[in-house]
Amino acid sequence: MAEEKLSAAQRSKIRRLSAPKELAPDEEGGELNIVPFLDIVMNVLMFVLATVSVTFTATIDTFPPRAGGGGRGASQQQNTLGLTVLVVPDGFSLKARGGNVAPGCESVGEGLAVPKKNNEYDFKTLAKCAKRLKGSSPDFEDETSVTISANKEIPYKAVVGVMDALRSDPETAPDAKEKKEMFPDVQFGLVK
Amino acid sequence: MTTAGQKPAGTATFKRMLRKETLRRGGAHEVNFLNITAMLDMMTIILVFLLKSMTTSNNVPQSNDLKLPASVLTTEASQEGLPVLITKKGINVGENEVVPVPPDASNGVDAQYKKNGANDLYITRLGTALSSFRETDKAIRTATGKDPNSSEAIIVADENTPYRLLCEVLYTLGQNEFAKFHLMVNQGAKQ
Repeated sequence: MAEEKLSAAQRSKIRRLSAPKELAPDEEGGELNIVPFLDIVMNVLMFVLATVSVTFTATIDTFPPRAGGGGRGASQQQNTLGLTVLVVPDGFSLKARGGNVAPGCESVGEGLAVPKKNNEYDFKTLAKCAKRLKGSSPDFEDETSVTISANKEIPYKAVVGVMDALRSDPETAPDAKEKKEMFPDVQFGLVK
Repeated sequence: MTTAGQKPAGTATFKRMLRKETLRRGGAHEVNFLNITAMLDMMTIILVFLLKSMTTSNNVPQSNDLKLPASVLTTEASQEGLPVLITKKGINVGENEVVPVPPDASNGVDAQYKKNGANDLYITRLGTALSSFRETDKAIRTATGKDPNSSEAIIVADENTPYRLLCEVLYTLGQNEFAKFHLMVNQGAKQ
């Protein structure tokens, strides 16, 4: 069937009606122009990422210091270890119910139980020594408190190092989910 | 304008041609801009997450005057208690510096700030600031059903703070009915 031909008036009308409509500025796209907002968000994000150094903090719980050392209550009993660690510039001096722990951590006697190694505090040996003392009697198995004291000029980081060394068993398997606790309850001794 | 003798096309033909022409001139649906809404959503979520983690995980401004010691602990930091900051320059309670710290603090703060001279452990101005907070905290604890007999403090001390200065602060806190301290440390030290 032959197609009917449009008249000139019809062609003109088709051209007019089929012309794309110019949208008013407020109708354009039908969406909010969020590009400037996106720019701001992007800049803020970059700034935050560049300036924030993510460091995670933890807290160690402790109690008010007591004059003269000694644990909280438990150390007053005879069948307790009553461990006291004194941090001095040359190393760690350990005192227990039996007396001062001698160098090497094997017996009772004078001297520093854990002297410095290569001019640095030997936290590993301190942890091993604390473990040996704790294991020396079944009565000490449940004892968890230790008194830490230090010379007046000893920096806080050394004291935190001692707390870390005494908190858990150093010989727990590396893949163990939880380390066996030794002395997590810390009491500070005052040095007048 | 029709030429003489030319009959206009019928309505059906006219409409078909109009549709055809409209499609041709309008073309396919034109994309004027990229749809970035999904990306914007994602970025906003990341931004909110970062800002949130900033405020909860680490709100301690660390600088040369205040660098926390590192610890092997990986437990979450306690948020309960009055923050007491011991920097190289001073002792701050909350936002305010209450006592300056001398360059060599191995004997604690200056004797003038202590109750009974150089050998005393009680820092008077710190005690005054703490007792004021303690009164408020006591009322809050009573109202919230917590033990009102003691308060807690978060100790944020520089890693090189001498033990004597630390003891003075802890002793003063203890004398003002603060019975539990949370010593803030950085996670991630190697044992």
